[in-house]
Amino acid sequence: MSHVDEGTLHAYIDGELPPNERTALEANLAQCATCRATLAEERALLERASALLGSARPVERPAPPFEQLRRSQKRSPWHVRTSFAWAASIMLALGLGYYLRDPGNNTSALYAPSEPGFVAQNRDAAEPPPAPAAAPVPTLGREQQERRQPASTPPTDEVARLESRVDSAVAAETRRPRDSGAEAVALKSSTQLRNVAPATTAPKLMDTSLRLEAVVVTGAGAVDKDAGVAVRGRATTTTQWQIISRGTATTLLGTDPVGLPGLATRRIRRSPAPDATVVVEQVLDSSTVIQIFQRSADSPLYVVDGVPLQQSARAAREAAPAAAPARADRLARFVGRLRVEIAGPLSLDSLNRLLEEVQPLP
Amino acid sequence: MPDDIADVYRNTYPALVRFLYRKVWDAERAEDLAQEAFARALVHRPENTRGWLFVVAANMARDEARKAAREKRHLTLLKSEPDAVPSTPEDEIDADTQRTRVRAALDQLTPRDREALLLWDAGMSYDEIAAQTGLSRGAIGTTLARARRRLVEAYDAGLEGGQHVARG
Repeated sequence: MSHVDEGTLHAYIDGELPPNERTALEANLAQCATCRATLAEERALLERASALLGSARPVERPAPPFEQLRRSQKRSPWHVRTSFAWAASIMLALGLGYYLRDPGNNTSALYAPSEPGFVAQNRDAAEPPPAPAAAPVPTLGREQQERRQPASTPPTDEVARLESRVDSAVAAETRRPRDSGAEAVALKSSTQLRNVAPATTAPKLMDTSLRLEAVVVTGAGAVDKDAGVAVRGRATTTTQWQIISRGTATTLLGTDPVGLPGLATRRIRRSPAPDATVVVEQVLDSSTVIQIFQRSADSPLYVVDGVPLQQSARAAREAAPAAAPARADRLARFVGRLRVEIAGPLSLDSLNRLLEEVQPLP
Repeated sequence: MPDDIADVYRNTYPALVRFLYRKVWDAERAEDLAQEAFARALVHRPENTRGWLFVVAANMARDEARKAAREKRHLTLLKSEPDAVPSTPEDEIDADTQRTRVRAALDQLTPRDREALLLWDAGMSYDEIAAQTGLSRGAIGTTLARARRRLVEAYDAGLEGGQHVARG
């Protein structure tokens, strides 16, 4: 007579053996000492395994009330809904801003590549034409730095909530820049939305950034414009940027482009703006692309309509710390003569560490 | 119908958190994911709420793991030396170390064996595990027997290794 296999014994101990099989097994066990010994061993093994698993359990906390779950379900993180909320907020903000703006107060300008027509409505027709730009033609969005209409500013917690919800959308956008739809529009427009946030606390945050020496978090863009390292509110999407060769990049930058050693360079692009900004796109894995923005630190600032660029979007974003996204954000440092920023669907900490590894490409 | 989900919530929430915890190894994250799974169940109203929840939870945990793997991959680009887990006398093992060792042992299992074991531990029946894993019901006992044996063996091997380094 063959002995009972261990699978059957485990099912028996687990109480999962069908009644007829259980009866047969028990008859077998009554006659076979070997099977009884095996059963005891398997029982000990099973209990040991359960104990091990039991020692790796989380501290059990009571479940939140079911009602709370139902409430949160009403605004569950479905990206589609979030995107509509995003887009609606942005359109509202832009619309209000356009209506309420003060034409005499155009002291600053913001450059943001975006969908043609999306922000074009904010341009002042009386201004001289924009500086010539490389094809494809970017849209030059204008936003006033000072907004006196708090009505156009979404509540901070609302922004924070939206920010957190679109984190993954941001990541997705970076990986698949050609995605279209509301999410993409929302992302391209995020600069405008952030610009609408109150900028009153920006100077304090600038100071904080400057103390960080070479590596600064986001607020790097907050460096005074006279320092020559102003950051434009670039949108995440750079697919409209012209693809250039390595040689062209070297010429534009006046030195070799920089990147992460050991990573394949997928593409090099140039900004449509005449400020010689170059982005090196490197592949971390099949779904992750890291963008390394770089420009000569001593190249002149890009000027829109004769007005020097001023950092404002980032300061505005920093002014609402809760709204600072964890992803697709950008850090900056100097590498040789280049001012380098990094972006990608990774955590700030990861990006920061990658940024420290950046060096001239071989 | 929502009342049914409320019942399932009361009865299954701790098990679902535990199940998720053994996949993401972060208690808060496990709670978040469990709550999100229930929130989705409220939208979808699945027929078999409990089984559906575990399928969704397993998928969410898998997405988490992919994301974590991506982060880890690039971090290994940056630093070559792993974080060594100091060897500790058996009687001084704290809960963290114990968790780390069990986690490392679980990592040694094949995905299917591990899934079956975690589902059983979460309170699912052989029928439910079969439905979820695609195994035949008759194979569940054998799968669990193998999973348990490997878990215990891997754990003991980790102890003997002393300097065993947690993976993942």
